[in-house]
Amino acid sequence: MGRKRIIDYLMALVIVISLNFFLPRLLPGDPLLSIYGEDALITMTPEAKVELTRRMGLDKPLWEQFFNYLSGIVKGDLGYSYYFQGPVLDLLLGALPWTLLLTGLALIISTLIGFILGVESGWRKGRLADQGLLTGFMFLNGFPDLVIGLFLLLLFGVVLGLFPLGGAMTPYSQLTGVSLLLDVLHHLFLPLSALVLTEIASCYLLTRTTVVTLLEEPFILTARAKGIKPKNIRYRHVGRNSLLPIVTRTGVRLGRLFTGALFIETIFAYPGMGLLIYRAILGRDFPLIQGVFFLVAVVILLINFFVELIYPRIDPRVKNNAY
Amino acid sequence: MHINYVRGFKENRLGRLGIIFLALILSIAFLAPVLTAYSPRQVSENIFQPPSQKHWLGTNDLGQDIWSRVIFGARTSFITALSVGILTVTLAVFIGCSAALLRGIYERFVLRLIDIFLIIPNILLLLLTAAYLRPGPVTMVIVLSIFNWPGCARIIRAQTLTLQEKSHIKAAKTFGAGTFYILVKHIIPDLGPILASSFIAHARRAVFMEAGLAFLGISDPLLISWGTIINRALQYSYLNNWYWLLPPALGLSLTVMAFSFLGYTLEEILNPRLKVGKNAGD
Repeated sequence: MGRKRIIDYLMALVIVISLNFFLPRLLPGDPLLSIYGEDALITMTPEAKVELTRRMGLDKPLWEQFFNYLSGIVKGDLGYSYYFQGPVLDLLLGALPWTLLLTGLALIISTLIGFILGVESGWRKGRLADQGLLTGFMFLNGFPDLVIGLFLLLLFGVVLGLFPLGGAMTPYSQLTGVSLLLDVLHHLFLPLSALVLTEIASCYLLTRTTVVTLLEEPFILTARAKGIKPKNIRYRHVGRNSLLPIVTRTGVRLGRLFTGALFIETIFAYPGMGLLIYRAILGRDFPLIQGVFFLVAVVILLINFFVELIYPRIDPRVKNNAY
Repeated sequence: MHINYVRGFKENRLGRLGIIFLALILSIAFLAPVLTAYSPRQVSENIFQPPSQKHWLGTNDLGQDIWSRVIFGARTSFITALSVGILTVTLAVFIGCSAALLRGIYERFVLRLIDIFLIIPNILLLLLTAAYLRPGPVTMVIVLSIFNWPGCARIIRAQTLTLQEKSHIKAAKTFGAGTFYILVKHIIPDLGPILASSFIAHARRAVFMEAGLAFLGISDPLLISWGTIINRALQYSYLNNWYWLLPPALGLSLTVMAFSFLGYTLEEILNPRLKVGKNAGD
């Protein structure tokens, strides 16, 4: 990875920070309004407004505000949430583990199942099993995550009543050990299934397409001619080579670990980053929206950066035409 | 290579299905005022009515007829999809082609801009801008297109560069054709298949992004959107109101599916290797 690409990432970071800073301040009207939101502003007395304007330095020139904002970020101060009455950073760190648990598990499960089904299906191209799987996944791929979540919630949560309608664990239950774990899993099941169902189709379709293309390569013919068992060709030759796009895709998905469950978390009221973003928007809690945006953007930039850094090691072929 | 689109879509099961779905949604959106006796915005005292002869899908918390809201939602969804598709592809053609034709420092600038934009996750950009701007239908289309063009522009630039090396374009140049003439008469028509599949992909994205933003409550609350209906219904899901939750969800899926199937069929027509039924593994 060349210096040029590193500069790209730094530029992206600058854009993120500037958007975060300038968007609320350049909108017409009181910047306090954009930072705290209408609802919070109505309850403030004029003295409080003046005090807040002074304390946040909104009366100072823009460049000085920008400098203060940057130094705040460096110190780990992302602002104070008016709606939740707490520092933004604490709220984010509280939500992060739940999201990572949900999206991480979903990523692993959907990639594994999607890959295996993709290889088996591509191998049997044109046969009944392949046709069935392909059609099924095409349909599944047509359902947005929002809709899959709704179906599961309605069917298993509301109608059958098998699973809780929301939350990550039973509140005030004081469970410990195994029963706590079971309780968490019980709450996790529906959002996790919804997320796996959303993600699995794209992994399957990608693997299948790769496998179908690979099967026409000369080295597969050579392997057959040498008399290698079909099972070995399927996984050692075809499967291994079709891993590459899957690895790339998983790298891209890693960045989505933080926002990918936005709708599903909202539907199941699962207390992760997605629900936090939703609540922040609902409560017009601008410090929180900005905090989430900043943190998530930075983490995704970092992940993408490392994926790009590692990728030439996995596939030496990209090294020559890398940036 | 000559491509027969009509035959391709006719021969492909998913393609036929996509066209049927699209026609269905399109006619519902078009005929919406004829298909219902109620205005989608009309508030009444009959709140939380279950489905009946009078209200096919019952009424919501404000006493509005859910069926009319769902079919008028199809209009919002469709118009957004078409506008975003057209605007995104136009932007991408304009920027991608100009970069490939003008070259030089302008091209380098555009490429860097695209690279940087592609790094930043655009769902976040969308959320942030939408949260501040509270977009109405027009702003929504503009915002969605502005964040979607870079990927498409990059493909179009690359393809334009390849096309420029083709002999028919070189021939046109020797006859004295200007850059603009070549762009309009040769390059853009040759880009046809790519433009079509980009259009479908972006229209599809626009459908669920529009519904998604409305679901999160970031778009104009007065807009009749499937996302808003779902959000509203979800707040009363303990009433077991499937007749309120499912129809907008189905409409949304049907539209997204229609675009997915069309996109997939187009991909298969353009890349016949993907076609089912040849060269099985063993």
